[in-house]
Amino acid sequence: MESSFRRGAREGMRDFLPLSVGLVPWAVVTGIAMRSIGLSPLEAMGMNLLVYAGTAQLGTLPLIGSGAPLWLIFLTALVLNLRFVIFSAALAPVFHGHPFMRRLASSYLLVDGMFAIGAEKLHKADDPHWRWGYYIVPSLYCWALWQCCVLGGVLGAGVIPRDWSLEFMTTIALMVMMIPMLRARPMWVAALVGGLGAVLLRELPLRLGLIAGIALGIGAGFVAERALAGRAVR
Amino acid sequence: MTEGVMSEGLWLWLTLLAIGSTTILTRGSFILAGEKGRLPPALQRALRYAPAAALSALVMPDLLLDGGSFDPFNPKFAAGIVVVAVAVRWRNPWLPFILGMAVLLLMRKGLGW
Repeated sequence: MESSFRRGAREGMRDFLPLSVGLVPWAVVTGIAMRSIGLSPLEAMGMNLLVYAGTAQLGTLPLIGSGAPLWLIFLTALVLNLRFVIFSAALAPVFHGHPFMRRLASSYLLVDGMFAIGAEKLHKADDPHWRWGYYIVPSLYCWALWQCCVLGGVLGAGVIPRDWSLEFMTTIALMVMMIPMLRARPMWVAALVGGLGAVLLRELPLRLGLIAGIALGIGAGFVAERALAGRAVR
Repeated sequence: MTEGVMSEGLWLWLTLLAIGSTTILTRGSFILAGEKGRLPPALQRALRYAPAAALSALVMPDLLLDGGSFDPFNPKFAAGIVVVAVAVRWRNPWLPFILGMAVLLLMRKGLGW
């Protein structure tokens, strides 16, 4: 008999594996970008281990490179990571009752992709062992894959021509993540309002437009869900 | 900086540590709080829209802005359309990257856009 941990782990890997391939170019790009502002390979990998959040890493690099004050770098990273408060709140019931160290590891390892594929299934599953397997195994795999591929980018930074617009791969990776989510109409509304909101509010300081856009998108999705449900009832 | 190379290195590591702390602060916010932290159900449901809204908020400015101003007629937006079309049509995870980058580089380098 297979343990429920292993069954969860297998299903998690099956769900996460296709998506994880999209991380490879993203990780390589992050590795190259960290070297491009003058971090040594050791410093770059140190950042990668300590931060382990591609958006915050990529977003703070220009600030580090230009010698911005620490508080501004910290705030920018916080704002770029703020979406994880939302993910953390959504996933907290899943880790309810787990020991502190497990929850600490789960927190450190929580990435967009895992939340995107797993949030719904993790909520529906009743077995805590299955949930733990489903979450932790793909998350550790993702961590290892990310570290290896960033190392590849860090070491290979000198080879690729600088003017190849490689940073666009980040955008492609995020788009590929987003497309499967857009099945229901309220999701479309959330994405559209979130994206256009971030565009229109881009003048806000400290990239707060990003957070404001996300908040607007979530609100719009929620309102759209209610409006559509109300129409169906009538 | 006048303090020399040593403290400059130390300062950088401190900066990296500060950035890293935001990862644990945000990702751990509710997971580490355990029982104490519970979001109201309505908010919980609203949060289902967070990933789509967040990803779009990261992507759209990059696609629709060119040099900081609104301009949908730019190579990145064209490449974005190709990425969506390819990702919807085929399952291959590399194709959006290969074709998206190909369109972008072709327009930028080949057509000098």
